[in-house]
Amino acid sequence: MAKTILMVDDSSSLRLVVRMTLEGDGYQVLEAADGQQALALLDGRKIDLVLSDLNMPVLDGIGLLAHIRQLDAYRLTPVVMLSTESAEHHQQRSQPYAASAWIVKPFEPPHLLATIARLTQ
Amino acid sequence: MNLEQAMQCFLQESAELLEEMETILLDAEADNITPEQLGALFRSMHTIKGSAGLFGLDELVHFTHQAENLLDQLRDGKLPLDARLSGVLLCCHDHVKAQLAALAAGHALPAGNGAEILASIATLLQHCDALPLAADPPAACVPQAPANSEWLLSLRFGPDVLRNGMDPASFIRYLATLGEIQAIASCCTLPADEGFDPEQNYLRLELQFCGAVSAEQLESVFSFASDGGQFIISPRAALASHLQQALPCGDEAEQQAVAAIWQAWGLSPSPTPSMPMASSSDRLASAPASGSTEDSKPAKTVESKFIKVEASKLDSLIDLVGELVIAGAASNLLARGNGNASLLESTAIMAGLIEQIRSQTLSMRMVPIGETFSRFPRLVRDVGQELGKHIKLVITGAETELDKSMVDKLADPLTHLVRNAIDHGIESAQQRRAAGKPDEGHVWLNAYHESGSVVIEVADDGGGLDKQRILAKARHRGIISSDASLSEQDIFQLVFAPGFSTAEQISNLSGRGVGLDVVRKNIQQLRGTVEIDSEEGWGSTFRLRLPLTLAIIDGFLVEIGSSTFIIPLESVVECMELPTGLTDTAAQHCLQLRGEILPLLHLRHFFDLPGQPGRRRNVVVVQAGDSKAGLVVDTLHGEFQTVIKPLGSLFRHLRAISGSTILGSGEVALILDVPALIQHLTQQESEHDSLTRTLALPLPGTPDTLTTSHDRHSGETT
Repeated sequence: MAKTILMVDDSSSLRLVVRMTLEGDGYQVLEAADGQQALALLDGRKIDLVLSDLNMPVLDGIGLLAHIRQLDAYRLTPVVMLSTESAEHHQQRSQPYAASAWIVKPFEPPHLLATIARLTQ
Repeated sequence: MNLEQAMQCFLQESAELLEEMETILLDAEADNITPEQLGALFRSMHTIKGSAGLFGLDELVHFTHQAENLLDQLRDGKLPLDARLSGVLLCCHDHVKAQLAALAAGHALPAGNGAEILASIATLLQHCDALPLAADPPAACVPQAPANSEWLLSLRFGPDVLRNGMDPASFIRYLATLGEIQAIASCCTLPADEGFDPEQNYLRLELQFCGAVSAEQLESVFSFASDGGQFIISPRAALASHLQQALPCGDEAEQQAVAAIWQAWGLSPSPTPSMPMASSSDRLASAPASGSTEDSKPAKTVESKFIKVEASKLDSLIDLVGELVIAGAASNLLARGNGNASLLESTAIMAGLIEQIRSQTLSMRMVPIGETFSRFPRLVRDVGQELGKHIKLVITGAETELDKSMVDKLADPLTHLVRNAIDHGIESAQQRRAAGKPDEGHVWLNAYHESGSVVIEVADDGGGLDKQRILAKARHRGIISSDASLSEQDIFQLVFAPGFSTAEQISNLSGRGVGLDVVRKNIQQLRGTVEIDSEEGWGSTFRLRLPLTLAIIDGFLVEIGSSTFIIPLESVVECMELPTGLTDTAAQHCLQLRGEILPLLHLRHFFDLPGQPGRRRNVVVVQAGDSKAGLVVDTLHGEFQTVIKPLGSLFRHLRAISGSTILGSGEVALILDVPALIQHLTQQESEHDSLTRTLALPLPGTPDTLTTSHDRHSGETT
């Protein structure tokens, strides 16, 4: 069965590119524009991996990660953070919440796919 | 991968972000900026940068990165949002917009003044580096973090912490980024072989920590492991109470181990362990909870329920609905001719459904006018600065909806009117002061719905239109004859005459050859009208009245001889029978309706239609703006859904026809242009006035509401 990836980013063009990349590799992709929407989508679904932007309105990536870690069904779900290079200090901030991987925008599609494949095995 | 599609998406998204950025910057000049707005500002550049990277737009990435840095400083409160900064940010906005426009058009990215802007960003950034935290406004939301305070931490991770996917070591690593861990010791009491669960956490830590942090910050470090864990955090000074809390947490062996650690650190435990006081895990438990309610507040803006649809798809849908309306009318007609009751019933139901589909489809194309209005704050700011006038723009009714195709075409005429209001309407500060008005001028943009049309007003509190000067100039330019006497409204309308400009000083803004006549022409092309209200010394209002939609209208079907015409229903006021006995001569061109003189227009004469008028004729009273007229027709057929088909360019010169439509029978009916008809009538009237014709007398037997125009003209007759 195709793995389901939840893509969270406030940029619709970025979501589109990620969606095209992932769907090309046989993943099913759900989209959310911010953390709050993502949490609503997580509810009652089986999602194999969450790919999240860091800087978003309403609820940012770290807030989303922290919330995900508190959901029983998603404690161990891999969460990959996508961010721009200027965010090293965020990387540290998110450390306790166990982000599974950290990908720097603009990402290389093969790198993204390899990371996701490794985490969803 | 369809990169083209992604690129389109990127361009549109960036355009939206830039628009938001501009709105915030312009708002913030007047008001205090909120943290949400700062966040949104930052994100606008940040998101564009992130996406631009995907498309390999390195220059744009570089530029937006610098702008983002600047916004980051602004967000952190290291820079105040003053006029200079917002000026630079607006320049950034313009530059990115220009680059994206070039990208969309497929040109090479223009260098523009990018380097210049980057230089001013660098200056601002240096400036803010030179003023470190000292210039930090009290906005620094950390509640008085005491400089390098000492803390005692007793970390009792819960047994499930590993199962929950958290690594205790990472908490410690994170803690180390906040300050210095002066001492750390673990006390693990592992159970005997059989009781040992490798997935369970047995790690308990004691720490001495030094850093510029508050208790809340420290607690928040551990808030995600608070489930089943206990984290006791106290300042060094509160040693005694800390030990009292920390000690009783574990079993005896642990207590001894902990006590041993503290003794080794030279902090001697109190010998009398008492009952735990307010457990800090309670406080911790409440911390994430309150955090989540805060987060859920903006959740009211739930998932947006919008679907983006290509405009062309919607257009073809509307075309199809138009055809459906015509086909529906045809089957209705057939059913009526057939006389089959059940067939009639089913076509009636279908007609009702078609009507609903029509209005639903048309409403899909309705967009709020705010989209167009949103460009004006910037325009007003720029033009105001250029002319040295201080002007406040007030926008109301931005949510008023009208047809998308109309919104696009309104931008230019509105821009012209707004510029005109600032340039010619609002006086200079000295003049305003002399007139007892505040220095700051006001321009109002207002939109609302009124009886089937949309009204957009551009108003100012400037000097108003000077009637004498308009008249003088119109005479001078030969637009009117020197002895013409005009009503106030007619005088105002003169400013729309081609080649008319009232300002003595022609500025490079509004008086560049393109006059207000272009505005009126644009609006008339949209089947709209322009009215002016003006009070000398107190300002003027330009009122645009537009139909709600351009594609399908409710029409009123009338017949003259064998020709059928449609009158837009929105301009129909009432219908009545033309009193019999009036002779059908050109002289007889008025009737009195409830004390008002109503000019009549015989469409048979006007269009020079063949055939003799029937015995009974009808008058359709129509209105355009403030003027009314009666159109004399043979038969009234009632309401009819009219799909407007434009007339070919061959018929361009036709004055009184605004389009055509196809009837259910397949015949073509022409749509009357009511404002043009009324205008024609008014011109004719003034000619008649100067000819001073005597008119027919009222006839006996006609209702008293009805009379000829004799009464009105008798006074002037010589």
